[in-house]
Amino acid sequence: MAFEDVWKKISWLYYQYILVTALYMLEPWERAIFNSILVSVAGMAVYTGYVFMPQHIMAILHYFEMVQ
Amino acid sequence: MTESSANKPANGEVCHRAKNGVKPGRNGFVKNHHHNHHQQPMYCYPEDKVQHTACNGSSGLGLYSRPFIESFEETPMLVAVLTYMGYGILTIFGYLRDFLRDWKIERCHIAREREEQKDFVPLYQDFENFYTRNLYMRIRDSWNRPICSVPGAKVDLVERVSHDYNWTFDYTGRVVEGVINMGSYNYLGFAENTGYCADASAEVTMKYGVGVASTRQEMGNLDRHEEMEELVAKFLGVESAMAFGMGFATNSMNIPALTGKGCLILSDELNHASLVLGARLSGSTIRVFKHNNMQSLEKMLRDAIVHGQPRTHRPWKKILILVEGIYSMEGSIVRLPEVIALKKRYRAYLYLDEAHSIGALGPGGRGVVDYFGLDPRDVDVMMGTFTKSFGAAGGYIGGRRELMEYLRSHSHSAVYAASMSPPVVEQIIASMKCIMGEDGTTLGLDRVQQLAENTLYFRRRMTEMGFIIYGNNDSPVVPMMLYMPAKIGAFGREMLKRNIGVVVVGFPATPIIESRARFCISAAHTKDMLDTALSVISEVGDLLQVKYSRHRRLPSMDRVVDHSIYDQIQD
Repeated sequence: MAFEDVWKKISWLYYQYILVTALYMLEPWERAIFNSILVSVAGMAVYTGYVFMPQHIMAILHYFEMVQ
Repeated sequence: MTESSANKPANGEVCHRAKNGVKPGRNGFVKNHHHNHHQQPMYCYPEDKVQHTACNGSSGLGLYSRPFIESFEETPMLVAVLTYMGYGILTIFGYLRDFLRDWKIERCHIAREREEQKDFVPLYQDFENFYTRNLYMRIRDSWNRPICSVPGAKVDLVERVSHDYNWTFDYTGRVVEGVINMGSYNYLGFAENTGYCADASAEVTMKYGVGVASTRQEMGNLDRHEEMEELVAKFLGVESAMAFGMGFATNSMNIPALTGKGCLILSDELNHASLVLGARLSGSTIRVFKHNNMQSLEKMLRDAIVHGQPRTHRPWKKILILVEGIYSMEGSIVRLPEVIALKKRYRAYLYLDEAHSIGALGPGGRGVVDYFGLDPRDVDVMMGTFTKSFGAAGGYIGGRRELMEYLRSHSHSAVYAASMSPPVVEQIIASMKCIMGEDGTTLGLDRVQQLAENTLYFRRRMTEMGFIIYGNNDSPVVPMMLYMPAKIGAFGREMLKRNIGVVVVGFPATPIIESRARFCISAAHTKDMLDTALSVISEVGDLLQVKYSRHRRLPSMDRVVDHSIYDQIQD
């Protein structure tokens, strides 16, 4: 039952995303292209953040001379 | 003139406070020159344009006998940014599709040049064609819907589907019945196939037939036409009137007969295409003043009189001001008292296009002149159409007798266009008699009052629900803002799924980010229909998240305003 509500909520959020970005008016293959580009760019950003965040934080702390 | 009227105190007569209780003196009126002023009632954001005009001395000598409340809430910044982003994405995909069509990867359904014309000047590369191919076609199913019954309060639509994304439509053979009609210009509910008007038209068809087969000047001047024109003149309160077969043609063919080279036309920013076309055809100089903005109009009049024609500085032969009674895309009502005051002072002529306001405004249904309680003889040319409130077709022009005699022989429409068809003429006569009360009943006045009540109720409920509604509180045209391109198509489709027919409008009829859904209230709508429609609109509004208004007003019409609050506000 809870899963149904969650699914409905996600479905409604997806509908809002489709409306705001005007993907609602595009054909399914155009939506697929746009979504895959968006997901790949976002995925790459998240991955880069995950890999390099420790180094960046260490560099900042080193700059502020809080750690050697 | 503006200085003296600004500083003159209220001239001794009783003046009614505006309904929101704002005191006359506190209206930021320091800079003079203003008939308009921005009063800031407590619940308003300062950047929104909400114009209240109290009828005291500050607004130009008590010209308004009732509060003139218009609101055009500003577009929320986030919504504007997202709308531009949406259009940007659509443009990118439009270029992609055009590329595919050009390289023949995809079949092109729309017009393009032939192979042999490849090196000619390109025909279809401009923005308008790009827009039509790539944006309009995708949501085309919200427009041109075929209907198969009389467009009264409820209408039947022919169901159609498209299998290739709106390039072609197939009819399923079914009919969608009982769709609540919020889109027809049926303000007084005269679009009906039963009743006194329909019977009278049917009788006249039996007697005169349907076609007239001539122009008014030759053999097409029926006695019904004469009677109709006398009736129209009586209805409007002018000396004489003349009717034409098509409302658009009335404007575009008669303005050239009234002005020519050496004349000046001052036309409102948002005038209808027929007025613009007529002004351009006439060959006069056209200057555009800001929408409903009396300072802009006054400045232009002063410049015109002081400087005269552009190079020679001779005085203008005529100055004609073109305004409309109700602007159908904004729902705003013209500030007629101020326009007439300006016209009298600067000796200009006024052409008032009452296409949407005749029959729909005013206690007697006589239009915007009646609504403000002014004298019809002050307006030089009163134009209107029979399409909207009278359930017929065609347009009329009313004015002084000499003007009408001149137009009868000099107007293109009178000389070349075929006369109006007899059943249409009879419908006009019957409906006008009904509105005036000459058929012995009070049906007409009841309809006018019903329309006013419906309008007030609908607008109040819509603003309470949180939609952004443009226009004057009294206008039966209610534009509701949608902004985003995908929501235009989504709104039209979702409303039709729930059995309500609406008109959605986008570019180029409106500015590109200000797309809207336009509701036309009718006297034929019962309160139940309006309630159904409002609940569906609210549901769809929640689904699509179009309740953008930032001032949710609490549902209260009769709350007493606390006047002492305003003493504490710093200006």
